[in-house]
Amino acid sequence: MITLDDYAPIVGEEVVSQLYRLAEHLQGRRFVHINSTAIGGGVAEILSWAVPLMNQLGLQTDWEVIMGDPAFFEVTKAFHNGLQGFKVNLTRAMLEHYRQVNLENARRFSWEADVVLVHDPQPASLIEVLRPQSRRWVWRCHIDASRPHLTVWRFLREIVKQYDASVFSMSQFAQNLPHPQYLIRPSIDPLSEKNRDLTEEEIKAVLNRLGIEKDKPLILQVSRFDSFKDPIGVIQAFRLVRRHTPCKLVLAGGEATDDPEGPEILAQVQEAAQGEPDIQILLLPPDAHHEINALQRAADVIVQKSTREGFGLTVTEAMWKGKAVIGGAVGGIVLQLRDYHTGFLVSSPEGCAFRIRYLLHRPEMARRMGQTAKEFVRTHFLITRHIRDYLTLMILQDNPDSRLIEL
Amino acid sequence: MAKKLEQVAEDPFWFQECFLMAMPLGKKVVNLRELLQGLREIDESVLFYHLIQSRLALGQPTVEYPNDFALWAANALQDNKLAEKLSSFDPFEYQNLGLVRQAVADLLEEYLWDLPSVPWARPGFEFHFCQASVVVMHSLISARTLKEFCEALTQVGMDSIYYHFFEARWRLGELKGDDFSFWIETNFGLPELVKAIRDVDIYFYNLNELRETLLGLIHQHLEELCDHPG
Repeated sequence: MITLDDYAPIVGEEVVSQLYRLAEHLQGRRFVHINSTAIGGGVAEILSWAVPLMNQLGLQTDWEVIMGDPAFFEVTKAFHNGLQGFKVNLTRAMLEHYRQVNLENARRFSWEADVVLVHDPQPASLIEVLRPQSRRWVWRCHIDASRPHLTVWRFLREIVKQYDASVFSMSQFAQNLPHPQYLIRPSIDPLSEKNRDLTEEEIKAVLNRLGIEKDKPLILQVSRFDSFKDPIGVIQAFRLVRRHTPCKLVLAGGEATDDPEGPEILAQVQEAAQGEPDIQILLLPPDAHHEINALQRAADVIVQKSTREGFGLTVTEAMWKGKAVIGGAVGGIVLQLRDYHTGFLVSSPEGCAFRIRYLLHRPEMARRMGQTAKEFVRTHFLITRHIRDYLTLMILQDNPDSRLIEL
Repeated sequence: MAKKLEQVAEDPFWFQECFLMAMPLGKKVVNLRELLQGLREIDESVLFYHLIQSRLALGQPTVEYPNDFALWAANALQDNKLAEKLSSFDPFEYQNLGLVRQAVADLLEEYLWDLPSVPWARPGFEFHFCQASVVVMHSLISARTLKEFCEALTQVGMDSIYYHFFEARWRLGELKGDDFSFWIETNFGLPELVKAIRDVDIYFYNLNELRETLLGLIHQHLEELCDHPG
């Protein structure tokens, strides 16, 4: 089992020791996370390491997953798309079903907590039933809600207003709400199977298994097959690059159980890539962390050409592997990538193609930017900082009206 | 000089740790005129966040712009002239945040006055106002001598450096002062070292580089190698 002390060689003794001492002020507190999927997607990944580590720190931390039928996830996907600015239709029946599924889930939950952190809109309306079971309720929005569709936000706002606080990944996503809003950046786990160091042999073995011959420079995008990740735009960019420079493209995507649109987008991508032997589309299971790790380490250029993005943990992962990343100039990607320092921000397939060519032709510059990127992640986007933020958030929940707390 | 390194201070220096939680207000501005208006209305804590605290919240990979306003002028308004003016603005030249607010507002008003049109932010690059809540905790690290102080500097987190070197300037009410130089001055004298620390151009170092700079200054002034790796 990985313990907090295992992170000391990566982040420094003082960072780990800080966490223990901060947690001393919260001993015995009960902390509950609630989301809607146990595997697949960034939230489940964060919780899979955060929960055991918080328990190691002496906080009684539990993780609950709500269940729903396909109709429920159709509604919550519409919420997700609506928060990201897409126009969606919500009928009264859909909203009633959303509340009904939450009500059914609420009946299963008997815990009592000091702080509950409810992740994203799927379980948000649990508060309407379970309010007395926790002293403080905090809504954690992982989605790029910078320009939400009004109908969706109007509905969700009435629910979110009942919370004591909300947490967003970026200040752009914060809303006009009657309670304190906090910023917590997501993070990655440097010791997880997805991010731990790999040997050359391990990387080669994965490439062999996936049938990827490394005979040309490899361009990679790792993401769910979702229209906001713009896989079609990546294929367009790849075709532009190939006019000048030989290379191959791998689009590797997992499936999240709460995303019903995945298969449809995958079909569109397969059609766009038809007849092109240098494009490989890999549909990987949600637990293919080792494969993703090897692909990211093997890639010459990593792209995350999203048109909407909550934070973009795949960008963080690639940066941690010392890669200069080309990302869409949206959401949290903007926080992570700075032109010529840690990567490049782009706004079109043409821009993406141009930067891919730049990095392929300037490997030394790519290496230097990758090193800066790795150090940037070490300081700001590793899980030790994330846990420190959770602890700080809990301390602030004890003193909601104070801006300066001296322990 | 070795003696000076071993001299025991009357009061030990206790390092504090500082955890900053940024709090977005959910309010944004889309152009320079709105920023000016917003600056006149916001709480002083918001001004403090964008000028000082944001350095700890998310330090840039390389320090290019010393505050959020200059960064926004460059990246969002794509107005290099304004970014240059805001980069040269030093909040520590003013006695309190009320005066800082007035000075920034004057700078923006004068700049806007001469412009034929109001610069707008690119879509998606609006300026979002933030403030912060801060939790301060005693660390277990203290120093009684300058030698111990050097060792401690290599051990503490960057949040400690921020707290004692940046936040202290407002806390102490002496805008050129910081906790480190104050402790050295009151316990050991060393006016040249104290002056050198107070003269560090804090805008061009990230927190890690500041740590190295401080160690270098003490080392240089005492002509004695402090124990720190690398």
